[in-house]
Amino acid sequence: MPRVLGQDPAGIVIAMREFRSGQRPATVMDRIAKGFTEDETQAIAAWLGAQKD
Amino acid sequence: MTALRPGRRAFLKTAAVGAAAALLPRPALAQATSGRVVVIGGGFAGTTAARTLKRLDPRLAVTLVEANAQFTACPFSNEVIVGLRDLGDQQFGYDKVARDGVELRLASATGIDPQGRSVTLADGGRLSYDRLILAPGVDFRWDGLPGYTEATIERMPHAWKAGEQTLLLRRQLAAMSDGGLVVISAPANPYRCPPGPYERASLIAHYLKTTKPKSKIIILDAKDAFSKQRLFQNAWAALYPGLVEWVSLSSGGKVTSVDPGMMTLTTDFATHKAAVANVIPPQKAARIADLAGVSDRTGWCPIDPVTFASPLQPNIHVLGDAAIAGAMPKSAFAANAQAKACAAAVATLLVGGRPAEPRLINTCYSLVAPDYGITIAGVYHPVNGQLVDVEGAGGVSPLDAPASIRAQEASFANGWFNTLTAETFG
Repeated sequence: MPRVLGQDPAGIVIAMREFRSGQRPATVMDRIAKGFTEDETQAIAAWLGAQKD
Repeated sequence: MTALRPGRRAFLKTAAVGAAAALLPRPALAQATSGRVVVIGGGFAGTTAARTLKRLDPRLAVTLVEANAQFTACPFSNEVIVGLRDLGDQQFGYDKVARDGVELRLASATGIDPQGRSVTLADGGRLSYDRLILAPGVDFRWDGLPGYTEATIERMPHAWKAGEQTLLLRRQLAAMSDGGLVVISAPANPYRCPPGPYERASLIAHYLKTTKPKSKIIILDAKDAFSKQRLFQNAWAALYPGLVEWVSLSSGGKVTSVDPGMMTLTTDFATHKAAVANVIPPQKAARIADLAGVSDRTGWCPIDPVTFASPLQPNIHVLGDAAIAGAMPKSAFAANAQAKACAAAVATLLVGGRPAEPRLINTCYSLVAPDYGITIAGVYHPVNGQLVDVEGAGGVSPLDAPASIRAQEASFANGWFNTLTAETFG
């Protein structure tokens, strides 16, 4: 499983968007991604991307 | 900052999504003065809260009060009961917690003075605090089920606090002859781990099917609905036909008394004689919550959904199974998520800041068989003083998923446990 830390924020936002829409196969991330707005997702992605693994 | 990195890395691994919003107001923390926080209870909630506080503000003096040097985790303990896992795999120490700068105090808390802001310990010690975080878990209501007392748990184990009881139930199942009846008594809501009794029934059914196929398991239930119900029931019909019987409240499932000498459990309609009886008793917040004055007449602790502060006493926060957390279940994952949000709020409050509204996540895996996992997930936010589900998010595994998805979820369950325990204790 890929680590999320230090990943490109834009990639995280796209992944979350695809989890939300159901385009990306998932077991639980689809259900969790739907709990976050686009703005919240971008804030989370920016924060994750800024962390060093 | 190098010293912070390992902990921070573990913290981020799963926490980030839930806690990121709460962690944003960093400038306030930069001006932090020191404060004193005492955390009571070294489980998923308390341990996470203590470590998170120290990471957010290393100048805080954080003391974790816990009676036992070793923690035994409840999630996955149903696997221990049926021999799929060793109890040692459930046990964790506090070495890494101490290395983070948290002062570990191995003692029982025996009293709390909310006005004087101090905690009394069984060893005669006394700890003063600016903020107290209570994460004491549950106690059983020994007055809640006639016939079931502390003296009878050797005959009819609860195995609802992992440890010796888990091994006892395992030994009883192993010693049972083929054709025996296993009876589980499941309590009314709320209680620790809502899907737990049904995962347990499933894994016991798996054990019976493979080793004692003439046996049967009955769940006598004090409620009419339960977590992941259709997923469980579909799986029982597919994997264990005729082996698992669930008796709901309205079908007379509520156990009204037990006789450990006779090994019987009695409902309004019938008396069941068990070869192995697992009684999961009614529960409440642990007693220290009563002594602190933070539990209400339900036996549980109301909280503010942003800060987890008690509305009943000043400067005391309550986390995990003891708290009334609205739509959030009493689970290890929920406890861990609440702890991060609470720690962020407490760190902010100690410097006079205004805590941000948290958005919390829960995910619970249950194994119906070793290669068959199902989940329930939720995202929660404060609305009108309550933690409620974010609409449109969360829910359970699909009812029509193929075996490959069930197997994938069973495998992810291991990752879930490893991540959660590594983040809390590792």
